[in-house]
Amino acid sequence: MTNADLGDHDWWEHYQEVVNNDDEMEVRGHDKFNENFYVEIGDERFLIQVEHGKVDDVIPEPGMNNQWSFGVEGSRKAWKEFVQEVPPAFNHEIIASHYRSAVKEEEDHLQLTGSNKKIFQNLRAFQRALDLMRKTHNNGGEL
Amino acid sequence: MSTTDHGTIEEITGKYVNVEIDGVDHRVYFEENGPKDGIPLLCQHTAGCNNQEWRHLLDDEDITDQFRVIAYDLPFHGKSIPPESEEWWEEDYELNAEQFAETIVSISDALDLDNPIYMGSSMGGNITLELADWYPEEFRALIGLECGAHSPGFHIDWLDHPQVNTTEVNAYSCWGLMAKQSPEQTRRETMYHYEQGATGVFKGDLYYYSVDHDYRDKLDQIDATECPLYAVNGEYDYLTDPDDGREVAEGVGEGATAVEMADIGHFPMSENPELFNAYLKEVLSDITGTREEPLPDVLETEDVGVKL
Repeated sequence: MTNADLGDHDWWEHYQEVVNNDDEMEVRGHDKFNENFYVEIGDERFLIQVEHGKVDDVIPEPGMNNQWSFGVEGSRKAWKEFVQEVPPAFNHEIIASHYRSAVKEEEDHLQLTGSNKKIFQNLRAFQRALDLMRKTHNNGGEL
Repeated sequence: MSTTDHGTIEEITGKYVNVEIDGVDHRVYFEENGPKDGIPLLCQHTAGCNNQEWRHLLDDEDITDQFRVIAYDLPFHGKSIPPESEEWWEEDYELNAEQFAETIVSISDALDLDNPIYMGSSMGGNITLELADWYPEEFRALIGLECGAHSPGFHIDWLDHPQVNTTEVNAYSCWGLMAKQSPEQTRRETMYHYEQGATGVFKGDLYYYSVDHDYRDKLDQIDATECPLYAVNGEYDYLTDPDDGREVAEGVGEGATAVEMADIGHFPMSENPELFNAYLKEVLSDITGTREEPLPDVLETEDVGVKL
């Protein structure tokens, strides 16, 4: 487990480092993943600013001057399950979690918001960026 | 499992069979392994994919000693080309229940199989309900992996859209259907198979899977007393979870059995072949009558001696 708490400043700094040094992001992004997205953990929102497949900055509580294409919302419980090394069924990946929310109408699963077109245009890189939250959370949190 | 020694030639063979389906000739590719007089085990791939998903089962000596394992590519999938007599490029590919069930029965007939066991996953699992309802006399048993009476919500336009990289999206929209416990190498290989599908075919298959297939009010039409039906669903399958399998078995009644597979997902045969083949042996032993105890409600890894 990480020494930093999920979503605190040190955690996001480590996340940025993990994403920007990830070989698969390098391959799948092809420097073309340029869509900002937000992550909402309970009532806290964080904007992940993405430029050429790299996380340029993480901005807490983005406002009117910021822009994003899509986001992921969920309770802190859902996110805590998502970032476990072996997550429980149905909170183990974003499309899985969204399906259980949107189609099965179950609670405490992550849910996608925003432009579906942009999500599907960037799916693999975006999905990898979310999966790397799990890696961030489980490798000791050393910054 | 296959060895990887240099020069090893696997026992699996691939051939083509010509099949007439609804009056149209099709050239269908299939691979097989096992004794000619073994019990035929006919394997159907998932939506938008091909028979490579079954390569580890085709290569499992414990199973191919007794069973003649046959895995085919549906028309439009893998090496089974679209029908040469049709102008198929002038319309969207779209699979419906009647066409799907008839195709399976026609392939079995063309191969002259004697009372085969049918097994399929996902859309191949769902079709066991139509096969049980319409063609029960054709099969010794039906194994529906990831089987549900209804599986809505996956007939998605983005899976065939000119402004989306459908090759990648078709694969990675399925990434979360697998359990994190499954080996990364085989999960990645499963997605690699998915990336080989023709444009529009995955979405067209999902018309059957998420729209046309709906047995919620028809399960009692199925009589599984002559042809046993097994609904075998993975714990991590978010589309058709083990409760969906139990609902099928309860709705069908006598002759139907639901089994949950722990720690595995929607592509069991390819995402974790070692674990799946071990689970499958338990089901096959129930079909052949060599198993003394009834199958448990949940098959766990320790039940079959597999360590994750």
